Amino acid sequence: MKDKLRKGWLHSYLWSGPSLLLITLVVVFPIFYTLYISLTNMNVYHWFDFTIVGLENYIRALFVFDSGFLSALLVTVLWTVVNMVLQLIIAFVLASLLNVQKLRLRKLYKTLLMFPWAMPGYVSILLWKTGMFNTQFGLLNQWMEKLGMETMRWLSSDVSAFICCTVVNLWLALPFMIMIMDGAMQSIDKSYYESALLDGAGWLQRTRYITIPAIRPIIAPAVIITIFTTFKQFDVIYLLTQQAGAKTGAHVHTILTYAYENAFITNNYGYSSAISIIIFVLLIVFSARYQLQEEGTR
Amino acid sequence: MSRKCKEHIRLTALNVFFVVLCFVTLIPILYALSVSLNGQNTLLSSDFSFIPKDFTLANYHRVLFGEDILTWLGNSVYLAVVTVALSLCVAIPAAYCFSRRRFPGRRPILKCLVLLNSFPAVLSMFAVYRLLRPMGLINHRAGLILIYTGTMAVFSLWNIKGYFDTVPVEIEEAARMDGASSLQVVTRIVLPLAKPSIVVTALMVLIYVWNEYIYATTFMTGEKNYTLAAGLYALQATEMSGSWPVFAAASITVSIPVLIIFFLCQKHMTSGLTAGGVKG
Amino acid sequence: MKRFLALFLALLMVFPLVACGKSGGSNSDPNTLVVWHDKEDAVIEALQTYLEKALPDVKVQFEKKTSLTDSLKLVGNDPSSAPDLFIFAHDKIGVFAEMGILTPITDLIPQGELANYLPMTLDAATYKGSLYQLPLYFETLLFMYNRRYMQDNEVPATTDDLLEYMKANTGRGRYGFVEQHSTAYYSAAWIHGFNGSIIDSDGTPFPDQKAVKDALAYHLNFVDLMPGETEYSTVNTLFLEGKADATIGGPWMVPSARDANVDLGIAPMPTVNATGEALAPYSGVQGIHVLTFAAQNKAESVQKLLRAMMDPEVGIALAQASGCAPANSVCYDDSRVCDDELVQAMRSTAEIAIPMPNIPEMDVMWTVVGNLLTDVNMSKANIDEAFDAALAQANSLIEAMH
Repeated sequence: MKDKLRKGWLHSYLWSGPSLLLITLVVVFPIFYTLYISLTNMNVYHWFDFTIVGLENYIRALFVFDSGFLSALLVTVLWTVVNMVLQLIIAFVLASLLNVQKLRLRKLYKTLLMFPWAMPGYVSILLWKTGMFNTQFGLLNQWMEKLGMETMRWLSSDVSAFICCTVVNLWLALPFMIMIMDGAMQSIDKSYYESALLDGAGWLQRTRYITIPAIRPIIAPAVIITIFTTFKQFDVIYLLTQQAGAKTGAHVHTILTYAYENAFITNNYGYSSAISIIIFVLLIVFSARYQLQEEGTR
Repeated sequence: MSRKCKEHIRLTALNVFFVVLCFVTLIPILYALSVSLNGQNTLLSSDFSFIPKDFTLANYHRVLFGEDILTWLGNSVYLAVVTVALSLCVAIPAAYCFSRRRFPGRRPILKCLVLLNSFPAVLSMFAVYRLLRPMGLINHRAGLILIYTGTMAVFSLWNIKGYFDTVPVEIEEAARMDGASSLQVVTRIVLPLAKPSIVVTALMVLIYVWNEYIYATTFMTGEKNYTLAAGLYALQATEMSGSWPVFAAASITVSIPVLIIFFLCQKHMTSGLTAGGVKG
Repeated sequence: MKRFLALFLALLMVFPLVACGKSGGSNSDPNTLVVWHDKEDAVIEALQTYLEKALPDVKVQFEKKTSLTDSLKLVGNDPSSAPDLFIFAHDKIGVFAEMGILTPITDLIPQGELANYLPMTLDAATYKGSLYQLPLYFETLLFMYNRRYMQDNEVPATTDDLLEYMKANTGRGRYGFVEQHSTAYYSAAWIHGFNGSIIDSDGTPFPDQKAVKDALAYHLNFVDLMPGETEYSTVNTLFLEGKADATIGGPWMVPSARDANVDLGIAPMPTVNATGEALAPYSGVQGIHVLTFAAQNKAESVQKLLRAMMDPEVGIALAQASGCAPANSVCYDDSRVCDDELVQAMRSTAEIAIPMPNIPEMDVMWTVVGNLLTDVNMSKANIDEAFDAALAQANSLIEAMH
């Protein structure tokens, strides 16, 4: 009996082995490598001949965690919350509407709504930046002019840049979320709704007691991963407002753009690695605080 | 009659809503489309209209025949197909184990998988290089496949596992009672039931590979080895001499295959679960 | 279950097979040299054509690399993945030399043979007393104007003239003059015009602080008459669409200006009234660098290649192919080069242009100065406060490099 149990374990390990091996190589190894580099003095002057210097980089890194870093952290949290809330609500509503029976053109709509996802991110961001937000030539300002309003410098003030970045981020991220929610909703057994309808339950009740509990476990992994990617968002904010040679004057910093500007550009790998590790630990603390991992391991 | 009428109105309203929504969503892409069909070499113009004034297909002709786009397309397709196949092959059995079986280390591993997402991978390039070099995989498509599969492995495993969790164990037990082997249970019952999540995962991996350019430009040398996203990035990075209409045309061309695949996949994204088939 | 396991093992075995589908570079053959670059096709075609004739026994493979510097940081000392040489601007020389992946050119070619090169180009390529690049051609910013709007006799000789012209010709969606005013590369010309500089050769940021502040304050008068958007494509489009009469731009703008039928004029940089100095832009010297292991293992063919590249014919071919200004002064004796208005304009700007600093510390200064300019020009911050913040950031970033 015990042998059989052991054999079952062995099979489980073997079956999941390749996947875990890949994760170890490509995801876990870089973490440990970064940890190792963070203990060395690898920089421009010791690029290949670096030596272990202990915790020196961490001590210096603490100086980066000044008020600028704290406000970046607050912005990051705000950014994550705003984006996730909007993303979940909008995706849920759209996915529900897409699941209305008798909507014949559903496939066409879904495909068109997926378009933003089908383009490489930097292309989309570039299109938004030059096509939409550009003060001289952007569509937004051309429309404002036609409507007889003052033109805006969309990306130059903090609040409007934050809103613009959020719009672009939602534009980029919603297709994926809609697809996940839509897939999850389609998996719900239709008979639940039928019996609920017989019991006279309204849309709100059906949503609350059937749809949400049913899709929750299915969408949890995607949602949690999206929370992390939103927290670590770099491209949208950096490319829209801070790209070298095209800074717009807004000071919307997330922890990653802040770390980039205050450490990563120094080519000091040991030091930058230490900052990466500190951000990693911070994020782990955050996710433990909000029990994100419980959601996915039930 | 009045109820039917009301439903009709509601459906029309919904259709109008979606048409407007699609239009609004696609504005930046329509912008690119208009630029790509325009004869003048500029991304910017002070009097823009969605209908190009100087209509031409020359940019698309240049994209398809002038640049190396067809070679890049071949590379992207190869990488995407192999990565998707490999990802599913490793993720499905692992997801099944983590969903159905109980073994020591299961919960800790799952918890770690969640936490792995919080690592900011900005500096991972060096580690990946250290990983690929001993294997001789620098400037090698297999190296990219390894990175792509590994990067997406956490998501794949976890997403499919989440779906497996919702498939009632009772169906499997019933099948086993009828004498089905483990393999049969998985291939004949669990997989068809989990088809939507497998399709979603495959799409996700596909789109990641299709759009990834950082690893592709760093580890691959020579224009003939570029993927579509990397090639596009190169077109854009040399903006000093670059041609915007060609870039816009290329961006749109790159997106079309993904959209077609998405359109074709949709019918497989509906669950095999039929009403009344299982009562939870 | 067994079958599943078998399938797995089979897959795991297939993977290395896929991996063997393509072999790596042929980098071990001493007569084959791999050269990375990120240049336009015309430049490389001209080089390739010339080398095939001049150097038949050495096979030179040019490979375009988009993220060239990042890749070199990874593979710089790894003969199996790195190139033997690379063509790039001179401003990363300090970083690569400190990393220890470059061999001085003078180890392979005696210094005396380089006497014909323009001094500015050799200065640019020298880091800590060693020459790390064989210069091919250089680029500087130029004062360009559209003759349809700015007559030849209206071209400003001084910056005050320019300001007057801008005041008279800006408004209603048109601009007298535009430039990427909040980008370090462009604004350096103004700082130099006030005898200031962004960084010293020993790594001290803003050695003459007053000059920088004066330049910022004076420059602000011009910024107020320019659009708020500062990135390349906006400035470029304004000029090409005829919405701006004049601009300061690089030679890379010239082909698109010709395509757009702009009647392009090129003039000397205006002089700053306060100092009498001309606006002195940065220059970038494009040249070929030798990686250390290539110098050790393939010294002979590398030497042959460098010697071939020193032939004035190369510079002439490049000037004809892509309007590059050759680094070898002998080229300018040739009528094909000296008759080219653009090349001549860069040749004369080279007298005042200041090579971009090639020390590693400059890497962080691009960001620091970019932030400073954005704060002053776009957010209208107080110049003294913004400057102090930038200086503090520069010092802490430079310290963090070590």
